[in-house]
Amino acid sequence: MVHAVDGVSFDILDGEALGLVGETGCGKTVTARSFLRLVPMPPGVHAGGRVVFWPRSPCPVCGGTGCASCGATGRVPSPCPVCRGTGCPTCDGTGEEAVDVLTAPEERLRDIRGNRIAMIFQDPGKALNPALAVGDQVGEVLFAHRSDEVLRRAGIDPTDTSVAGHLLRRMANQRTRQVETLALRSPGIRGSARKVRRVVDDWVAGSLAETRIADPRKIMRSYPHELSGGMKQRVMIAQALACDPELLIADEPTTALDVTIQARILDLIRELQARHRSAVLYISHDLSVVKRVCDRVAVMYAGRVVETRDADELFRAPLHPYTRGLLAATPSHREERGRLAAIDGTVPELIDPPPACRFHPRCPHAAEVCTVVDPVLTSPPASEGQVACFLYRTPHEVGVDPEQMPTLERTR
Amino acid sequence: MTVTREHAVRGTHASSNQALVRVRDLRKYFPIREGPLQRVVGHVRAVDGVNFEVRAGETLGIVGESGCGKTTLGRVISGLTDPTEGGVYYRLSDEDVARLDALLAVPPERLSPAQREELERLDRAHRVDRLQGDAWRAYRRNCQVVFQDAFSSLNPRQLVKDIVGRPLKVYREASGGALLERVVELLESVGLGRHHLYRYPHQLSGGQRQRISIARALALKPALIVLDEPTSALDVSVQAQILNLLGDLQAEHGLTYLFISHDLGVVRHMSDRVLVMYLGEIVEGSSRQDMFTAPLHPYSQALMAARPDVMESEAERGWLLEGAVPDPARPPQGCRFHTRCPVVTPFCGFEVDDVVRSLEGHGAGLDELEGIERRSPFHAQLAFADEAAADRLVRALQGADVGASMREALLQLERRDATVEIRFREIDPVPLEEVRPGHVTSCILHTSRRADLGDRAS
Repeated sequence: MVHAVDGVSFDILDGEALGLVGETGCGKTVTARSFLRLVPMPPGVHAGGRVVFWPRSPCPVCGGTGCASCGATGRVPSPCPVCRGTGCPTCDGTGEEAVDVLTAPEERLRDIRGNRIAMIFQDPGKALNPALAVGDQVGEVLFAHRSDEVLRRAGIDPTDTSVAGHLLRRMANQRTRQVETLALRSPGIRGSARKVRRVVDDWVAGSLAETRIADPRKIMRSYPHELSGGMKQRVMIAQALACDPELLIADEPTTALDVTIQARILDLIRELQARHRSAVLYISHDLSVVKRVCDRVAVMYAGRVVETRDADELFRAPLHPYTRGLLAATPSHREERGRLAAIDGTVPELIDPPPACRFHPRCPHAAEVCTVVDPVLTSPPASEGQVACFLYRTPHEVGVDPEQMPTLERTR
Repeated sequence: MTVTREHAVRGTHASSNQALVRVRDLRKYFPIREGPLQRVVGHVRAVDGVNFEVRAGETLGIVGESGCGKTTLGRVISGLTDPTEGGVYYRLSDEDVARLDALLAVPPERLSPAQREELERLDRAHRVDRLQGDAWRAYRRNCQVVFQDAFSSLNPRQLVKDIVGRPLKVYREASGGALLERVVELLESVGLGRHHLYRYPHQLSGGQRQRISIARALALKPALIVLDEPTSALDVSVQAQILNLLGDLQAEHGLTYLFISHDLGVVRHMSDRVLVMYLGEIVEGSSRQDMFTAPLHPYSQALMAARPDVMESEAERGWLLEGAVPDPARPPQGCRFHTRCPVVTPFCGFEVDDVVRSLEGHGAGLDELEGIERRSPFHAQLAFADEAAADRLVRALQGADVGASMREALLQLERRDATVEIRFREIDPVPLEEVRPGHVTSCILHTSRRADLGDRAS
């Protein structure tokens, strides 16, 4: 049994960019995939815990443009469907709708995937369908989640119960059968069907243009293999943002790209995040990339989060010995760093992780308590954020003798 | 310190200014084949006329985007592929260098028979792709390679002891128990041990596999190791271990490294001198200090601005590079970077292809282009379907759709009926020039060609 993710907790606030950093095999991708229940089960086992998603609805005051009452996000929490916002046991008395992604019914999840929470994958070459033109792939998202809006924009009443309305609705939901394609070509309905397609095409072209793709109409007709890596990644971003999701998960989106293209994609993600005011979970093994994109950073080690702090603070003064080690081991082209301070040893196998603090076999400060007691994420003194390390606890809090506690001065 | 080894190429001396390898006008073209007969329709110019030297005991870093030719350059230097033109010269003495450079300066058809013989002698003794027999064997053992992907460069069916011991066996350095002891020594020098002897590559982690590759490269005590992105597949903490190991080994054995990487941070950490490559050419070369504190070429600056860094602050970020890398089969004229350069001047090599590059999709009538009659890369007649389209192009070239530098580089823009004659200022290929001691660049803003710019230079 591999404990890929073992007791990870963190929050992503509305509209913020959170970076999830860690080395290969620390469980960051599994964590992200759990957000959309994309971890195959079996062989995966959900051993416990919740991924709670608080859906948002457009602010009733400003209608989504951002005002004082919604904190300029344009969104407010959705009311709980059971108690209608008055507070009940299902919503912990908050009156806000909460969806546990890990246990929600498949249908509810389908409404969330790609719509409320969207994902950009590491390898755009593999994530895009090679047999579909780019425009059709991006359009699929709209058909799947925005069919009513598409019909409305085409001037068709989505609740129309006539045969024509029924056919168009089926078309907008991509449920058209072979016989129906003939019906859609009949003179009475042909015009409306074309209108629906035009609306989707315009919408797709708009999303592609937003990612600064030159000549989006031409790109829509091309297939993924005709595009460069950077272009493919832009298409995937356009697809992810087409439905204006509340949360965008980006799993190493620039690892396969060149430095100069990476820089432009990072800029694009930042810019679109600001414009859409969506939250971003940015996963990377590269601290420098996270520094450029994120407001807050969570560092993972061996299936656990060891430090969650404001990005500027974390890079200025890392607290957890692992974070310190990572930063000291990263070569910089802006500064001479002398000999790199490599972290000794290797990342533990997650089949049999070390007991208590998982970093203690490699930690320069490790003391007795680190080998017996499991550190939990707590607020460090004189700093915001959270860190899971006994260096920032008092012996009294932990309940052990002072000499069993690690200190920054004592290294082994 | 001069690195001399008992297995150096016979008949050569380590040169006094310590250059181990000299690269002279090196070109490597790959043919593009098309059609049922696989006719050659063009060449990808992976490496296109580079000159530099690798000094004994130094680490020379080579950086650039993917496709700039840095890996091909490493493969040619290590003798894995033969160059199309030019050569890599190993251990030339000072007198021989002077002689060689004098001979190479003369066009081949104007060489006298005696000179030709002299060149032939030098080539046979020093040019890597012309070495034969013992000299070739000696070069191969003196120049080792560590590849990016340690998994695919280790034989999955061999044990570690066979992989690391193989070079020793091939060169009959050791056998039996002595071989095993040498292998253990090598493993210990890269931080592994006796207990790794009987493992297969798949049983090792990425970092350990890269250590095995390094141990194998060290087995024959080479003078030069070509490191082709040795850490880009590794995690940060493992990368730091490997980089430290490489540094220690260099100090211990007096090794020379050719360090190829796209990661500027790693290159700054490892290199004594740095070359920046773009589209098969070197655009800038200098000491590490100069390169990272005062880069001159706009491309070097762009690379550094693009690469995120843990030490950067928000304010330090520079401008970002726009556009894509041009097709290496048809590289731009003049300075190859001029198509993306933010500080481009009219003297940087604008050409007819740039009209298409910058106006495609702008509705400038290029969709109705029917034919191009080229007199030179800078001079052509474009034939359009009708006068209106031709007019649109002329107006686009006079307007704000193209940069001011491009408009200024236009010497002639004339429409006759439906054809447009375009002529740009002719620019020769831009050579590297030493603008400060030990600092070469090809950017017009810093070289002697700056005089062409007149008062624009400010």
